[in-house]
Amino acid sequence: MIEQIKDVLGSLGIELYCIVESVQESIECFFIRKKLDLKRGTDLTDYSVTVFCPFEKDGQKMLGSSVLNLHPGMEVEELKEVLQKAYEAAALVCNPYYELNKGTKEEAVLADSTFAGKSLEENTKQMVAALYEADVFEDTFINSAEIFATHTVRHIVNACAVDVSYETYQVSGEYVVQCTTPQDVETYHTFSYRDANVQTLRKEVEEAITITRERAKAQNPPKAGDYTILLSGKHINTLLRYYVERSKTGMVYQKFSNYEIDALVQGQEIQKDALTMYLKAKEPYSAEGIPMKDRLLLQDGTLKTLHGGIRFASYLGVEPTGEYSSIEVMAGSQTVEELKASPYLYIASFSDFQMDEFSGYFGGEIRLAFLYDGKSVTPVTGGSINGSILEAQKHMTFSKELYCCEQYEGPYMVRIENVAVAGLQE
Amino acid sequence: MKVQESVFIQKKKPLLVKLLDRLLECYPYVSILAMDSKTRDFMVSKRNMRVGENVRGTSRGFVARVSDGKYYTEYSFNQVSEEILDKICNRIKELVESSNCVLPEGLKQQEYQVPLEETMTFTGSTEYELDPEEMGDDAILAHLNNIKEKGLAVSDQILDCQVACSYQKYTKLFLSKEKTMEQSVMWMSGALFFSAARGEEIKDYYMPYSTLGGAEMLAKMELDVRTCAEVTLELLKSAPMIPGEYDCVCTPDVTGMIVHEAFGHGVEMDMFVKKRALAEEYIGEYVASKLVTMHDGASAASEVATYFFDDEGTMAHDTIVIEEGILKQGISDLQSALVLQTQPTGNGRRESFRRKAYTRMTNTFFEGGSDTVEEMIASIDYGFLLENPRSGMEDPKNWGIQCMVNIAREIRDGKLTGKVFSPIVLTGYVPDLLKSISMMSKEVVLCGSGMCGKGYKEWVKVSDGGPYIKAKIRLG
Repeated sequence: MIEQIKDVLGSLGIELYCIVESVQESIECFFIRKKLDLKRGTDLTDYSVTVFCPFEKDGQKMLGSSVLNLHPGMEVEELKEVLQKAYEAAALVCNPYYELNKGTKEEAVLADSTFAGKSLEENTKQMVAALYEADVFEDTFINSAEIFATHTVRHIVNACAVDVSYETYQVSGEYVVQCTTPQDVETYHTFSYRDANVQTLRKEVEEAITITRERAKAQNPPKAGDYTILLSGKHINTLLRYYVERSKTGMVYQKFSNYEIDALVQGQEIQKDALTMYLKAKEPYSAEGIPMKDRLLLQDGTLKTLHGGIRFASYLGVEPTGEYSSIEVMAGSQTVEELKASPYLYIASFSDFQMDEFSGYFGGEIRLAFLYDGKSVTPVTGGSINGSILEAQKHMTFSKELYCCEQYEGPYMVRIENVAVAGLQE
Repeated sequence: MKVQESVFIQKKKPLLVKLLDRLLECYPYVSILAMDSKTRDFMVSKRNMRVGENVRGTSRGFVARVSDGKYYTEYSFNQVSEEILDKICNRIKELVESSNCVLPEGLKQQEYQVPLEETMTFTGSTEYELDPEEMGDDAILAHLNNIKEKGLAVSDQILDCQVACSYQKYTKLFLSKEKTMEQSVMWMSGALFFSAARGEEIKDYYMPYSTLGGAEMLAKMELDVRTCAEVTLELLKSAPMIPGEYDCVCTPDVTGMIVHEAFGHGVEMDMFVKKRALAEEYIGEYVASKLVTMHDGASAASEVATYFFDDEGTMAHDTIVIEEGILKQGISDLQSALVLQTQPTGNGRRESFRRKAYTRMTNTFFEGGSDTVEEMIASIDYGFLLENPRSGMEDPKNWGIQCMVNIAREIRDGKLTGKVFSPIVLTGYVPDLLKSISMMSKEVVLCGSGMCGKGYKEWVKVSDGGPYIKAKIRLG
């Protein structure tokens, strides 16, 4: 259908465009306890088309754009109608001019994945087996799970000769672990793999079972006050997203961020670990067909890359990088044992840990935390934390031990001082 | 004016009926849902502008659900023609027959009854005053630009004024052996989003709008520009919250977030099936103050989540979830109702034809009371007026609350002091909060500018709201 779309664009005189074709098949399984509640299959083909309209306004060169979805089987007359409407809309969008990404026709990039070469059913079965392998206890078990195995082939072409395609395999999902004693509680977990990491998934479920057992023992919130807190794993990813978001070209161009290359964005008062962080390319091309590669984002707290698509990069005069969803952070200065040597509140599970990239505030309700008062460790639940990265970044100490998931590779644990905790009143 | 049905759906209907008949030759239960949905987004700000279709909200395709008498299987697809009908039937057959292939040793399939259906033929459309397509992209953008310019003119301290709106126009066709149902719906929503800088920190304030209808909503947006800008500037003077439990007055939008996140998710009955919802054990019990009566339903209000039938062919309901403090019943999709042997309540919703149906909220709200806002504030020695909800997360199993709010206005000796705190995390135990509700205003306001997820996915349009409420809440 790409050729048909190009023909219609040509017949309408629309010279600038970008077409993304996505062909995806999936197998989806939904479990309640150890029973398959529903199996689903999908076969979907989608076309996302961006049309661009160059024009002048008040003597300034502009390039408006408008995105639309085209559906398989659309007739030529309908294609003409919707593309013409999108072009007219693009002519209303007064954004300064920029050049589209230029490229050439490249060989299709095949997925370098251990899922490749097997059916989606086989991939699903393998990961379902890994998911349920550790589910062997009477009182703590997987309450429910959803698993999605996908194979996607994406093809990107634009008016400036970009013609690239690549395939991806992914198995992702979520599961809820329930523990019934001494109280009935649950914890929620997600996973996503581009390879058949069965051992990792099995280990994650084992850890989830342990966490849920601890959650069942926790009765009360901590007392309200300021604490030294510990965060781990995916929560560190959420915390550090602040730097990823603030260094986006779109945020900088729109003045929501004052980040500049070579600025010490972690602040002038770093008393503990300085951050070194990479943006990790998980796919060979961006949605605009920009070749993706790993890039140094922060070196010892100093910004080294502004990242984003063609438009805002062009406005700022920096290299377009494409959009990133994953980061790698270098190991910290202390072991987990050292981080846990003095009193702390280790929040192992939130209901929903959030970072506001505008204000820098982070917070969430505590589902499970371990309170160490210097003598003993007590599991606690309830209350919340509310902190600011602008303060926290002065005194963050990261672990030497590492953790890895789809969107984050880096220290397993971070220690942050003086974070406000809402809990029991004295 | 009534929303017109999709030409695409009308064209494909005979073919879909043929597909249904072919599948009914093999399976005792078959349903097909066809959707044609167009969502258009508009956004203007100081240095950015966007017009186009919303990728998630614009879709056209089909989902077939079959039961072989024991097990359910679904197939989502977005191509159908006479030439590929055999291929579609064969793919569904493969999926049904290979269900066991994905199961390692020790796992089985859940058996279900085939749903009993009543014969139903239905056609309906919602109404609007001004069609945004007829109004045109240029007129909509001009309107938004005008609001933006007014917003930026309020003060040099305003970093940006982003003005956005979206509309969705969709037609759904549900076919099964006994049912032929068609509906066409349009909603529109919008937002003003102001920001101002305090050093590196960007403070922002957001005002939402929504309507079951069309571009008539846009006129409301310009009325609040100055207020929205002024509150953003107030936030530059905000202090971090001092954690504690306080007497609070919640604005209707904060009430709506509490209704939706803290309690609504917990009465979604697919959670009862999984034994994930504490609410199941409290049916018939007091879970809230006697002042509280809570509704959910696509026909309970005229808002963005209003429809005539759900994505499983069940007619819309107005479900009274809590009546004068007593939990009466949950809300349910079809499959959960089969397990629980209850009646479905018209809450089986899909993000799109691409996704599974779950039990989902629609328009969810508390009924109003008899107090005035002034009386509520005057009754507080020390506490806060909570405004501008940001996000929340459900905890149906343990009834924990996590809601994020942008502003807490200090109340001392029955009066607002002018001091503001931001941001705020609301936590606590749901029944404790609901039982502490001691006053409610008369006026009920619903809004549905955002989307609701199940966990972190499956986004559907919902509205929520209620009156101003006074309650005791832990803030952090």
